[in-house]
Amino acid sequence: MIRLLLALLRELSDEAAYHRHLEAHGREASPEEWRRFLDERLAAKYSRAKCC
Amino acid sequence: MRVLGYLFWAVLACAAAACLGGIAFHRGEHINSLWLVLAAACSYATAYRFYAKFISARVMVLNDQRATPAERLRNGHDFEPTNKWILFGHHFAAIAGPGPLVGPVLAAQFGYLPGTLWIIVGACLGGAVQDFVILFASMRRDGKSLGQMAREEIGKVGGLVALVTVLGIMIILLAVVGLVVVNALKGSPWGTFTIAATMPIALFMGLYLRYWRPGKVLECSAIGFVLVMASIFAGRGVGESAALAPVFTLSAIALAIAIILYGFLASALPVWLLLAPRDYLSTFVKLGVVLMLGVGILFVRPELQLPALTRFTDGTGPIFAGKIFPFCFITIACGAISGFHSLISSGTTPKMIAKETHAWPVGYGSMLLESFVAIMAMIAACVLQPGVYFAVNSPAGIVGATPAAAAATISAWGFPVTAADMAALARSVGETSLFSRTGGAPSLALGMAHIFASSGGGQALIGFWYHFAIMFEALFILTIIDAGTRVGRFMLQDLLGHIHPALGRTSWMPGVWVTSAAVVGGWGYFLVQGVRDPLGGINSLWPLFGISNQLLAAIALCVATTILLKMHGAKYMWITCVPLVWLVSATFTAAWQKIFSPLPAIGFLAQADAATNPVVAFNARLDAVVCGAFLVLVAVILADSVRVWAGILSGAREAAVHEAPFVPSQLRPEEL
Repeated sequence: MIRLLLALLRELSDEAAYHRHLEAHGREASPEEWRRFLDERLAAKYSRAKCC
Repeated sequence: MRVLGYLFWAVLACAAAACLGGIAFHRGEHINSLWLVLAAACSYATAYRFYAKFISARVMVLNDQRATPAERLRNGHDFEPTNKWILFGHHFAAIAGPGPLVGPVLAAQFGYLPGTLWIIVGACLGGAVQDFVILFASMRRDGKSLGQMAREEIGKVGGLVALVTVLGIMIILLAVVGLVVVNALKGSPWGTFTIAATMPIALFMGLYLRYWRPGKVLECSAIGFVLVMASIFAGRGVGESAALAPVFTLSAIALAIAIILYGFLASALPVWLLLAPRDYLSTFVKLGVVLMLGVGILFVRPELQLPALTRFTDGTGPIFAGKIFPFCFITIACGAISGFHSLISSGTTPKMIAKETHAWPVGYGSMLLESFVAIMAMIAACVLQPGVYFAVNSPAGIVGATPAAAAATISAWGFPVTAADMAALARSVGETSLFSRTGGAPSLALGMAHIFASSGGGQALIGFWYHFAIMFEALFILTIIDAGTRVGRFMLQDLLGHIHPALGRTSWMPGVWVTSAAVVGGWGYFLVQGVRDPLGGINSLWPLFGISNQLLAAIALCVATTILLKMHGAKYMWITCVPLVWLVSATFTAAWQKIFSPLPAIGFLAQADAATNPVVAFNARLDAVVCGAFLVLVAVILADSVRVWAGILSGAREAAVHEAPFVPSQLRPEEL
C-alpha cells in the first residue's frame, strides 16, 4: 500500500515520467537533462484544460 | 463461496436502498451524516459492481488481449502503460477541482436531500457512464480528444462546436472561480496574506526545482507545504497587527484586479517558474485534504443541521433563484455529471491505460470518488446551523447590508441567527465579519473547520483550520486560473493563427501578450461584473457556468451515443441516451428560464428591464446573449447527432466505427 502511494506521488510529481524519459533515451540524470525534460513535459501538460 | 458473494451484494444493495430511503423519508429531527456516507458508499459499490460491469462486459466488450495505445504507441512520454491504481489516482487528481466542493454547498439552500440524491444517482447513471464511455472510445482511437472524436463520428460541425463551447466555458469558469476566491478573501487580512504568500513560495519552488535541486519534485513540494503551513500561522499575526492588517485588507474590486493581473502574468511567464510548482503543491494538498475530510467525517460523524428540504424549494432562494428542477441539476455539475471530465477522459488518461479492463476502475471508479467528495462537501455545508449557512451565503442585496438587518431577514425565514452569534463566530476564526461571503468557499471552510476541530485540537484551532480550508480552496482555484488562461491563450492563438500566422506562434512575445490580454480581459470582465452585481454575482455566474458545463456533457454524451449506436445498433443506446435526455431537459429548461423568465431574480432579460443602472442592464443582457449562444451551439450539435443517428438507424448511412485495428497485447504483468 505504501509502495503504491509512493508510486502515485512519483507519478503526480513527474519524477516517474523523468525516470522513463531517461530510460527511453538512454541518458543520465543531469540538471540540463531535467530542464530539457521539464520544458517538454510542461509545454504538453499546460496546453490542455484543467478540470473544474 | 458463490452464494456468499450473492448474499453480500444483496445485503449491500438492500443497505443502499434502506439508507437512500432513510434520508429521503426521515423528517422532523436531525439525521447523522453517516446516513449520507452509507447511502453513497453502498450505492456506488452496487453500481460499480453491476452496472459498470455490465457496460464493460456487454457493451464495450473490453478485451485485455487487445493492445492499448499505451502499449502500441509507447514512447516514454505521453504513451506509457501505467499501473491501474496509480492511473486511478492520477485521473482522480486531474478531474477533482473546486466544482464538486462549491456546487453542493450552494445547492444546500434547498436542504440536503435534493442535492444528495442528484449527486448519487447522477454520478452512478450519468457522470461515471459519460467518463467511462468517453475514456473507452478515446482508448480505442489512439487517445483522440473529444473534439477529434466529435469530428470523426458526427461531422465537422460537431468538432468546431466542441472547440468554441470549450473556449466559452473556460471564460465563464475562470470568472466564476475567481469570484469564489474574491468573496472568500475580501476584508480578510489573514486569508489574503496566506494566499499572497503562496506566490513567492511558488516562485522559490520553481527556482529550487530548476537550478538548485533539479528533479526533486517531492522534496520541493514538501518544503513548499511546510512554508504554506507557516504562512497560515503567520497570517494570524498579520491579521492582528495594526500596521500590517490594513495592507492586506482588500476590497472585492481590489482583489478582482489583483487576480486579473496575476492571471495575465502567470499565463505569460515561463510555466516552470510559477504555474508548475504551484500545481504540484496544490495537487498534493488537494488529495491530502480530501482524505483528511473523509477521515474527519467518519471520526466525528456530525449531525446535519440543515433540514432535508427548506422553504426555498419554491424557487425563492437567496443564494440563487429558481426551483429544484432545473436549477439543482445545473448547480451541482461536477460531483454528479461534468462535461469537463470528458476532456480529461480523452486527454492524458487513455494514453496511459495498460489493459483495456483498467478503464472500468479508472473511468467509472474515479468519477464515483469525485461524487463522494461532493457528498462530503454537502455534509460540511449542512453541519452548519441553517441561520449561519444563510447568513454567510446570502448576498447583502437580498438580506440587508447591516448585520442586524441581515440577521432579522434570515431569522424571519425561520432560520434563527443573531448579529452577536455571527460576530462571535467571525472572531473565533479570525475574521471581522462572515455576513454575505457568497460563493460557497467560506461556508465550506467553516464546515470543514468544524469537522477538523472536532477531530482534534478543539475550538482553539478553529481559526487555523478555517484558513487552512480557505488556503486549500484558493490554492487550486488559482492554479485553474493560470492554467486555464494559458490554455485559453493557446486556443485563441490557434484560431487567430489562421488570420495572421505570427499570432499563432507561441514563441512570438507580442502575440503571447495580446492573446493573454484578450483571454484575461474576457474572464476578467465577467469577474468584475460578478463583483459589482448587487445580488453577489454567484446568482448569475454560477448558473451560467453550470449550464455551459452541462451542455459540454451533452456534447460528450452525443459522441458517446453515436459510438454505441455504430457498435451495436439501437440495442444499448439507452445507456448514454437516458442521461443525455435528462441533461438536455434540465439544461435547456434552465437556460430558457435564465434568459426569458419574467422574474428579475431569475431571468436575465427581466433583470435588465428592471435595472436602474445601465451597466447592470447591459451585463444582464450580455449574460442572456452568452446563455443563448451556448444553447444554440448545443442545439446545433444535438440536431447534427440526431441526423446521424437517423441515417444509421434507417440504413441510409454507413455505421463506420473509427477504432484502431486489433493488435494482440504483448504486455507482461511484471511490466506494470
